[in-house]
Amino acid sequence: MNYLKFLAKKLLGGLAMVYVVVTFTFFLIRLMPGNPVLARLTSLLQSGVPYQAAKQQVAAMYGFMPHGPLIVQYFDYLGQLLHLNLGLSIAYAGVSVTHILMSAAPWTIFMVLLGLFFSFILGVAAGVVAAVWRNSIIGQSSTFLATLLHGIPQFMLALAFLYLFTTEWRLFPFGAPYDAAIHPGFSPAFVGSVAYHAILPILAYAISGYGGWTLAMKSSVISVLGDEYILAAELRGLTRGIRIRYVARNAFLPLFTSLTLSLGFMFGGAIVIETIFDYPGLGYLLNNSIGAQDYPVMQGAFLIITAAVIVSNILADLLYSLIDPRIRRA
Amino acid sequence: MAAVMEQSTMPAAPEVRIRNLSVAYQTSTGLFDAVHKLDLDIPKASITAVIGESGSGKSTLAMAMLNSVTFPGSIRSGTIEYAGRGDIVTFDRERLRRFRGEHAAMVFQASQDTLNPLKRVGAQLLDLARSHGVKDKRKVLREARELAERMALPADRTLTSYQHELSGGMRQRVSIIFALALHPQIVLLDEPTTALDVLSQSHVLEIIREIHRERGLTTLLITHDMGVVAELSDRVVVMYAGRIAEDAPSRELLRRPLHPYSQALIRAIPRLTGPLDDAQALPGAPLELRQIPKAGCVFRDRCPARMPVCDTGTPELREVAPGRRVACHLEVTP
Repeated sequence: MNYLKFLAKKLLGGLAMVYVVVTFTFFLIRLMPGNPVLARLTSLLQSGVPYQAAKQQVAAMYGFMPHGPLIVQYFDYLGQLLHLNLGLSIAYAGVSVTHILMSAAPWTIFMVLLGLFFSFILGVAAGVVAAVWRNSIIGQSSTFLATLLHGIPQFMLALAFLYLFTTEWRLFPFGAPYDAAIHPGFSPAFVGSVAYHAILPILAYAISGYGGWTLAMKSSVISVLGDEYILAAELRGLTRGIRIRYVARNAFLPLFTSLTLSLGFMFGGAIVIETIFDYPGLGYLLNNSIGAQDYPVMQGAFLIITAAVIVSNILADLLYSLIDPRIRRA
Repeated sequence: MAAVMEQSTMPAAPEVRIRNLSVAYQTSTGLFDAVHKLDLDIPKASITAVIGESGSGKSTLAMAMLNSVTFPGSIRSGTIEYAGRGDIVTFDRERLRRFRGEHAAMVFQASQDTLNPLKRVGAQLLDLARSHGVKDKRKVLREARELAERMALPADRTLTSYQHELSGGMRQRVSIIFALALHPQIVLLDEPTTALDVLSQSHVLEIIREIHRERGLTTLLITHDMGVVAELSDRVVVMYAGRIAEDAPSRELLRRPLHPYSQALIRAIPRLTGPLDDAQALPGAPLELRQIPKAGCVFRDRCPARMPVCDTGTPELREVAPGRRVACHLEVTP
């Protein structure tokens, strides 16, 4: 009963947050200079098309005319949103935003999920090593490597990968998520091609995140190692295995929240990496839509990011109470 | 206090024999002894109290007795021999691990959080049993329940609780349960009642005394409370600056302390009755590690009976009566 109440409260709060973000993005996007629809209309008029015909043509292409006051457009947008209608794209005239987002999302989820998985698992393991053996050469090199990788900006790493592995040594393909000669489907050839094309972006994403996880886990483990119950466990003669489990589970807690938030932000795509590798995910889409002033796509992308982050945040709250008994209060 | 009499008449082989023990801490300005060339026998089946101010080395001594002095400290020299088990300083890692908890166990300060916050008390007891290869794990739990009940804890609730669900006094009792779970012969209590209120304090002390008697434990009690010494211990070791100042049967020391430091400690106890001014604080502060003089008596700066010889001659810990040792240049008669 209490649990349901808690959940309802969280969901309501989440909806309110989504509403606020939607409103902000709607107005912020329209503060950008230029207006693609009017530009199109003007160019039609200049090419000699009569005004009425041009207007109809534009309205048919984009699904709306940006003539009403902003506030009317805003409520119109909200009304459509309530019907889960995100509108039509401007850059890809006439295509629904939902369709565009849905076709980009799988690429991002596949790439970022794997990248996040590898960087998190390896980073956390390296963090434990860096903390437990911090006075030895192994631990210190682990810390050094993590600091180094954490310090390299993601775009530089991605560019270096791109240059080295697709141009200097032609080890990996570039510019498409799979080989255009292969028919998409669940054939081994297609899956293999997708994996092959995804290796570089995944690697770049994983390596650029690895250092952060390592350093976070290291400091968390070190702080837990100094806790009294770890010394007590040692003085009670608990085995090394049990003690390491005590440390790892306790040290993992603070990272858990960051992990769930990262999962939420995943839906924003890896803008830098997707753009550099021409990988057609949500980040790539968002970047292009900003360039093309494609308002509906931008709004849709931001809406997805917002909703995903908020949902993952709620999920984090719920799951956290499962792994930390101190939070488990009605 | 019957044990006192038995001891002085027929001294048994000590359960723990500490010889020439030095524990040093590495600091930026050098290596300093927190325990210095200490010799001590701990008689079997007795309660030996170690008393002294903060920084006297008493907790370091307790940690050294489990060979668990942590960085930047280390045992620099000496032996700590347990009857029938050998010198713990020479134990390898696995032997040391088995020894801790199984043969000698520690009860931690009440203020400490000694349980994994993510696991229930019962599950952690099972971890303890598993670590020491106990076959009958249910017996461990059953005995833990019995102990809990004796200590006025709700047994089932305690074992299914997480640490944060227990009060300070309850945690302290749980810490005692953990220490006794594997039937060790030696129990080290590090200021077991410091953070407790007076009523819990006397209750916990009562339990410690009872179980000590029942199981014939050899108990070492670290404290800075003369009241606890008087109530519980057979024998008391007064420590100052990492050295033993005086070592005597408790009753005798309380009746007639011989070392000026012991005298000062006893004078400093406030009484419930009588004027408060009767209690006199010991002037000066305990020495920090790097202030401890290399030669002469370490207590001389705070000593009311300081003599010229105290500046140059280090007083030996000498036996002034059977079972009674004092490190002082004064002529003392027990």
